[in-house]
Amino acid sequence: MTTLNITINGRAYGPVDVRDALTLNDFLREYLGLTGTKFGCGAAQCLSCGVIVDSPDGTSYVSPTCVVSAASFDGKAIRTVEGHAKNGELSTLQKAFIEHFSFQCGYCTAGFLNESQVLLERLEKKRVARGDLEKTITEALDGHLCRCTGYIKYHEAVRDVILAEPGRYLLAKAD
Amino acid sequence: MRTSRREFVKFATASGIALSLSRLASAEEPTFKARETLPGRQRWNPAATGAGRIDGVPKVTGAKLYASDFRAADLPGWPASTSHAMLIRAADATHVYTGIDLSRLGGALKPSVVVTAAEIAQAGIRVPAFYAGDLFCPVGKTPLYLGQPVALLIFEKFDVFDEARLALRDGTFVKFGGETGPVVMPDYGAFRFTRVAGPTPDAPDIYSAVQEGWISPGRIQNTELPVWNPLAMKPGSPYAKGAAYGEAIRAELAEKNPALLVLDREFETQSIDPMFLEPEAGLAWFNSRREILELVVGVQSPYEAAESVAFLLGKARAPFKPARINAQFAYVGGGFGGRDHTPFPLYVALAAMFFPGRPVRLAHDRYQQFQAGIKRHPFKMHTRIGVDRTTGKIQAFAADHVLDGGGLANYSVNVATVAANAAIGIYDVPKVDVTTVALHSRGVTAGSMRGYGTLQTMTALEVLVDEVCSALPLDPIEFRRRNALKPGGRTMAGNPYIVSVRTGEILDKLEKHPIWHQRAAEKARGLRSGIVVGTGVACAAKDYGTGADCSLAAVEMDQTGNITIRCDAVEMGNGVGTAVANRVATYLGGVADEVTVAEVDTFGPLALVTSGDPYAMDQATQDAAQRNPRWVPAISTATTASIGAHVGTHAAAEAARVIFRFGLWPAALDLWGIAATDSSARQSDAARWKDGQLNMSGLPPLSLSAIAARAHARTLVTGAMTHGFSRWAWSQASFTVSGQSIWTAPIDALAVRKGDGGYLRINRTSVKFPPTDNNRIGTSYTSQCGTLVRIEIERATGALRIAKAYSVLECGEPLVPQVVVGQSQGGFAMGVGYALLETLPPYEGGPGNGQWNLGEYIIARGSDLPLHDLEIEVLPPLPNEPPKGMAEVVMVPVVAALLNAIFDATGRRFQSLPVTQSMLKGALT
Amino acid sequence: MKSETRIKCLVAVAALLMSMLSAFAIDQMQSDKLAAPESFSSIGDTTARSAAIFTELGKVLTHARCVNCHPAGDRPRQGDQRRLHQPPVTRGADGHGLETLRCPICHQKANFEPGRMPGHPEWHLAPREMAWEGKTVAEICVQIKDRERNGGRSPEDLVHHIGEDTLVGWAWEPGFGRQPAPGTQKQARALVEAWVKTGAACPN
Repeated sequence: MTTLNITINGRAYGPVDVRDALTLNDFLREYLGLTGTKFGCGAAQCLSCGVIVDSPDGTSYVSPTCVVSAASFDGKAIRTVEGHAKNGELSTLQKAFIEHFSFQCGYCTAGFLNESQVLLERLEKKRVARGDLEKTITEALDGHLCRCTGYIKYHEAVRDVILAEPGRYLLAKAD
Repeated sequence: MRTSRREFVKFATASGIALSLSRLASAEEPTFKARETLPGRQRWNPAATGAGRIDGVPKVTGAKLYASDFRAADLPGWPASTSHAMLIRAADATHVYTGIDLSRLGGALKPSVVVTAAEIAQAGIRVPAFYAGDLFCPVGKTPLYLGQPVALLIFEKFDVFDEARLALRDGTFVKFGGETGPVVMPDYGAFRFTRVAGPTPDAPDIYSAVQEGWISPGRIQNTELPVWNPLAMKPGSPYAKGAAYGEAIRAELAEKNPALLVLDREFETQSIDPMFLEPEAGLAWFNSRREILELVVGVQSPYEAAESVAFLLGKARAPFKPARINAQFAYVGGGFGGRDHTPFPLYVALAAMFFPGRPVRLAHDRYQQFQAGIKRHPFKMHTRIGVDRTTGKIQAFAADHVLDGGGLANYSVNVATVAANAAIGIYDVPKVDVTTVALHSRGVTAGSMRGYGTLQTMTALEVLVDEVCSALPLDPIEFRRRNALKPGGRTMAGNPYIVSVRTGEILDKLEKHPIWHQRAAEKARGLRSGIVVGTGVACAAKDYGTGADCSLAAVEMDQTGNITIRCDAVEMGNGVGTAVANRVATYLGGVADEVTVAEVDTFGPLALVTSGDPYAMDQATQDAAQRNPRWVPAISTATTASIGAHVGTHAAAEAARVIFRFGLWPAALDLWGIAATDSSARQSDAARWKDGQLNMSGLPPLSLSAIAARAHARTLVTGAMTHGFSRWAWSQASFTVSGQSIWTAPIDALAVRKGDGGYLRINRTSVKFPPTDNNRIGTSYTSQCGTLVRIEIERATGALRIAKAYSVLECGEPLVPQVVVGQSQGGFAMGVGYALLETLPPYEGGPGNGQWNLGEYIIARGSDLPLHDLEIEVLPPLPNEPPKGMAEVVMVPVVAALLNAIFDATGRRFQSLPVTQSMLKGALT
Repeated sequence: MKSETRIKCLVAVAALLMSMLSAFAIDQMQSDKLAAPESFSSIGDTTARSAAIFTELGKVLTHARCVNCHPAGDRPRQGDQRRLHQPPVTRGADGHGLETLRCPICHQKANFEPGRMPGHPEWHLAPREMAWEGKTVAEICVQIKDRERNGGRSPEDLVHHIGEDTLVGWAWEPGFGRQPAPGTQKQARALVEAWVKTGAACPN
């Protein structure tokens, strides 16, 4: 057993005692009822279960939740799909996913949202050349499986969010 | 009266269980209905401006939508805590099952309940005919198939369940005894389809299924495969007659006729998993105090799921028989056919019945989903084609299909017959003979999956055609042009399509495309740079509809013009909610902001009754039954077979037309000051909606809200509820609406509401159901898709890259163009997986062993696809063309196009799937 | 040939075949075991003995648990079937994964059994120069002795690395669904030690 303190979407949860064998996925879905984070394969192959982990050094990454223990997240801060919209206002990515018809059944969408959000935040810190953008997006999203869409509209949504604010995400031609 | 699947709805009521199929409700705020009615009044409706789907916002915010999201605490009136069940399955189907040893679950880890075949039998629980086979393998029997359940364990608390599943994971506690070999069962069904055309296209066929009926060889001895030889049959029997023509066609193909190019080829396809991202899950609670079974599942066939559960428990002994079943249906995380007629809901119901008073969740993990989920049939196809060397026209075609249906019958027979009828694809062939048989095996159960057998047969066909074109030689597009079935031409079953046939336009598009005319130059480029380049083309025609499809809907407009829609179509990603809102908008001028899909029980005012099997009924029985003005051949059917647009939106469209004609139009006339007797009052068809206003030439535009207000003020028709049935054509009926007008429409039941009143049923005054002879039709609806691919294969490694691809399709009126394109892209991706990546070994090495996951089963990732080089073109609809189905056809030609491109690049023609990187490397070294 | 002699020959051949088959069967059954260095003492020639000991060690080095992270390319393999790692990951700049998916995100400090997820604090890919995939035991031998390619290790360092390193040791405790490497780490250490003592000779 481990005493877990975890911050989710800016809100502190815990202290709560959790079995060491409890996955973070089950902690979110069974204990907290936060079912926006999905269960797809249980083997870190599809990343439908991915959440954003915010490290103390200011960087973030997406972690699967199905193959890691809740206990290992003691003291950590994560963001789930439920935390993207603020005060009822959808994030730029959420709106882009809707407007681009990026998803169909929607089951993989939370994972794609989290990964795309991390990508945007990463690019803000280290911009890429326009010519490298498509490859950058493909590499960032390739860990996420989708069976409905063929991925294209997800990629177009992320690309268009970036192209709408080139100064924020892309190297200027002279850079 | 013959007992049939449809009749047990009445039996269920007779044996005392009332069926009520309602919407899911959620815990606190909002109620269930609000949660799954989208987008919801006062919420942003992306569909209102075409800027997104009605379910867009919940899907990007992680709202509870799917069956796997819900726990008891989310459902009002349910006890607060959820218990958890697990199905124990046999990973062996060749030894006697001797029981489970749960001694490793000591003390605290013990399950609260263990349900096995013995408990099921004792409770008087029956398996519905569609799922025939032991629900649990009894001790002392060899399991019927790998993955057959042997027990259901129920754990009161999640933590115990979680620890127990870890302890049970290695499966060694499931015990087996002596080796018996696999259980042998008769085949699920066999058919022969033969057609001999008359001397001219207009002359009647000499022999066809439509004329003579469908024929089966029957069983005359204990052989694994049927005996097809007509000489073995009773002379003069229908089978012998058709088979004699069939054998004659084969004899012709076997002659050494120098004028005919004859190719004799075998093609084999693999077992496939639909791999929808949400594993099957459900929640149920037997409220023992009120004897109500509450059920929450996500399926493509909601009505069938509830009926099946009612049958399951219909003759059970107390306390296993509920008085009432309240089934609620959630959005679905992908379906592709794998959630249509799945046995999973039966086990969800059992979990609740054996743990009364406590809500129980049953959910597959992915290993279990691979083990137990419905699969695509592997096919072995032996085909012969004879083509006139001079004219390039196909003279004769013969094929033998053998399907591995796996452990349970499920849809195997249907898949076999649909696949057989698609065996000649887009082509017009004057002599065709196809035999098909679906076998039982100890493998995983195969059933409905996107393409439904036509993917397999048309892949083999388009690969064969490619070879014919090389052999003749004849340009592949020209060959297709010469042989394409023309509009009005007869299909293999002997009937013409009743919708547009646009093969010529598809072929024109393919021929003009740069991928096609750059193929020689691109191939040469490959020779220079150490890769090989190839281009492939394929063209497919896929039916949509099943031959007994229903549509149920209710549409309402309030005083301010807000529109509400409820319909029985299921949302699995297909966008049917948005499609129905858009289709209704063409009649009512506004996009609904409250759309509830997967509804089956709020259509009580129609008071529908049904009986018999719509597929097997004879005309006399139908004629007698339809005299009851409430009788319909079926009440509600699955969302499958690419019918979302064509069928799923039909009843709502018809309801909207009624509201317009008898509510909004008279209100508009009133606002315009036009008398009902004026001639222009009859010109409702000339009115057009634009930006929320009704326009009629020479008159001022009227806003929707003004019209709605007037319709309510005048107590005109403001809501309509309809039912439609299609057996390769819609039923038509006439109704007297608003006192005088006779309204004839492609529906068979109607109820209307005026102003704010309740729904009142209007008895139909006459009805014409499609004739039962239509059951002989293979299909009457078709849509077409052609695909071009250019591939590059790295010589050294066999790694294949799709450099460019183009798919062109037609689907009538696209109700949500972005969804049509999205489905085409998704179909392309699934085709790539099927052609190059996905496979499941049969039997012990396959997923029936419970050890398969996505590490082993490879589906296409973004990097496998031409993300920036896939062009989708949708031909504009013909004038006034209704929507067609397209979700399956967009997958089909991709596969053969890839195989043909591989031949172009490597000179090797592969005759099985998938074609993997190592096979390509082998072909190139 | 006289028939009696022929029968004797046949019997002799049959006996030889049988013993070969039995040896094969026993060999299969014992493929999860590692022979002790002593069992090679019957080989008189020291060099030959050394090479034979290394060949036995080769059972560990070529086992899936090792080769999966000593791949020829930049992508690890997975599972007893040695399929390509899913999700797709490559070594990245430092062998610890892509920027978007670092190895330790999933592969944490220890195996996580509920997720069937192997783990170790140092989980990463062996450098390219230490790739073993597709190589013969003889080739691996040459490579493992080459200080340019073995991380600058002396033969004694190799004894410690194989015999005591805990990431190497993971191969014998890989968690559910994975076959452990043959024998034990101690037995492997004994083999390396004996190999070094006998001159670290390589098989042909």
